[in-house]
Amino acid sequence: MKKTFVFIMVLVMMVSMVYAQGGKESEPEVQTVKFWYHFDDPETALNPLIEKFEAENPGIVIEPERISWDVYNQKLLTAIAGGYPPDVAQVKLWWQPQLVEMGALLPLDDYIASWDGKDDIYDKVWELTKYSDGHQYYMPLQMVILYLYYRTDMFEQLGLELPKTREEFLDVAKKLTRDTDGDGIVDVYGFGIRGARGGHDWWGTFVLSSGAQFFDEDGNSGLTTDKAIAANQWFIDLYRKHKVSPPTTPSDGFKEIIANMVSGKTAMTIHHLGSAKTLEEALGDKISAAPVPMGTEGAWTSFGDEENAVFAATEVPDAAFKWVSFLAEAENNAIWQKSSGQVSINKSNATSDADRFLKATTDSADFAGVLPAHSGTAEFVESLWPALMQQAFAGQITSEQMMQQIEDHFSE
Amino acid sequence: MNKIKRRDTLPYKMITPAMIVTLAIIFIPMFRTIGYSFMNYIVYKPTEVRYNGFENYKTIFSDPLFYSSLKNTVIWIVGIITFQFLLGFITALLLNKRFIGRGIARSLILIPWVTPSVITALMWRWMYDGNFGLINQILFRLGWIDQFIPFLADMQLALPSIMFALVWQGFPFFAIMLLAGLQAIPDELYEAARIDGASTSQQFFRITIPMLKPVILTTLLLRIIWVANSLDVIVVMTAGGPGYSTYTLPVYSYFKAYKGMDFGYSSALAVLLTILLMIIVSGYVRNLLKEER
Repeated sequence: MKKTFVFIMVLVMMVSMVYAQGGKESEPEVQTVKFWYHFDDPETALNPLIEKFEAENPGIVIEPERISWDVYNQKLLTAIAGGYPPDVAQVKLWWQPQLVEMGALLPLDDYIASWDGKDDIYDKVWELTKYSDGHQYYMPLQMVILYLYYRTDMFEQLGLELPKTREEFLDVAKKLTRDTDGDGIVDVYGFGIRGARGGHDWWGTFVLSSGAQFFDEDGNSGLTTDKAIAANQWFIDLYRKHKVSPPTTPSDGFKEIIANMVSGKTAMTIHHLGSAKTLEEALGDKISAAPVPMGTEGAWTSFGDEENAVFAATEVPDAAFKWVSFLAEAENNAIWQKSSGQVSINKSNATSDADRFLKATTDSADFAGVLPAHSGTAEFVESLWPALMQQAFAGQITSEQMMQQIEDHFSE
Repeated sequence: MNKIKRRDTLPYKMITPAMIVTLAIIFIPMFRTIGYSFMNYIVYKPTEVRYNGFENYKTIFSDPLFYSSLKNTVIWIVGIITFQFLLGFITALLLNKRFIGRGIARSLILIPWVTPSVITALMWRWMYDGNFGLINQILFRLGWIDQFIPFLADMQLALPSIMFALVWQGFPFFAIMLLAGLQAIPDELYEAARIDGASTSQQFFRITIPMLKPVILTTLLLRIIWVANSLDVIVVMTAGGPGYSTYTLPVYSYFKAYKGMDFGYSSALAVLLTILLMIIVSGYVRNLLKEER
């Protein structure tokens, strides 16, 4: 009897422990804001910023948690579905449709209306981050625009001019693709295409600037028009026909693209300020940057964004907003960019002594675009685009089949 | 009376905590997966979550990607297990011989097996690299190739390349298990066979193999299940690409769940894989039992 009693007690304790984990603590004095982020180095900016914030806002504690980028999106969505999202998390624009559809985000309109810092953020940034339902859910954090990296020494050596159009670009890429030591093997390729996940920005630069668009003004798909299919074919040909991109292209991700530039395997690629430091350290003044070449219909480059969102399930919305707005204030945002290497969203942080990489970024601002606000965009980026692009590069599917499948995906 | 009763219930009490944990972390998720597989469950569309009967399964059977993933899964399992087993067996036979440094060799052989999968995958990814990779460098300097091979960017080569890495990673398991089996075979059997004039190959096929059979069958079974489920190495090395050329069923299911956030369809894929494995395993176990009798 006694043993049974002890046994039941142990069970009760176990069960209550399990429940205690899920329970909410309700201490009124200290508010804890759980914050998710996905970059590697919290020492440069995040930790000092947290210290500063906590000193300025006694009673609020920031509890940062680093989530690996590879699983960030899936962890965030499953945490929301499971009912335990963080209070604040770093987010991307193309997740916004899914997050709004899940009812996971807290609209920040009222908070922002009474926030002093709002006028110091670029209007274009507010415009791009506002959701299509008219609400502002995202608080801007940093921005970046993709541009063309090129090897100045190789351009000089071959007497090449910076390409302004895609035809000039192809011509330059072909000339840069060459066997430098006469052993019959190509040593340098003109252009490093990222063919693995994340490469849709390379694709968009040439395809979305030459007649393809996800949706036209009437909301119809503009991916399978003759122009769009031809633009996609032109991009495929860079690899298949003209061979100006290394044979490893279909499996090249971010690390490979940068490694190829550093080693001189490629002479041009597309990326943003985030890699400028690495490339400049390795190549010095042999590397420079310029806006991407124009397509047949104008120019398009990817606007890379990063925002913070407050989640609807939070119990400390005021403290959470204080934290996201703190990070968006000029002084703090400048500290933040030290670790991200990207561009501040604040007008007052703009500097006149911009280096060549920052100049290429700001020179591209007029034609920077984003992927459609559609709940299928995340899957397009994460798995559909790489799979289709790699099949097209291998000749398994045609340009038309590829564009048709993307259209089907977005019309689901 | 009291004594008997106590003896009856005590074992149950003692395994209860373990059972609760097992229920919580294995059976509940398992049953929920089966439940999800009959649902339209896309995580970011919470308003459209509902039961839809066999809809997911119907879609799967007309999904070309399912069939190509299934084909890759079969190639994956058969190829890897065959080579792991052969290599493991040869290694076990070698390690069973007496030679100087055998103790060290036995420990070293375990290195691939104790290396975490993600490390294995990253290591091989860079060794296979089509621009700077070690393997290309070696083949090139030996004069066997005149162009670097983009192993992981090639539709035909990607899957075999990953399989090779997995063979490397998994063969020590066979080696160690079979070595343990070999050591349990009494020397007297070989001695008696030699006296009776049995040749080396006769000794091998009449003594070694039959005596090892239980070990062989068990390790094969375990490895089939593990290899069939393994996806980490593929995800890290190629993420299923190029195209869909390295999609196996677990990879497909994983991407559907965590890139597409389609838990319903993904669960149905996972359930199908489980059923397929259960068919293989139950056939296997039945055979095993028959042999035993």
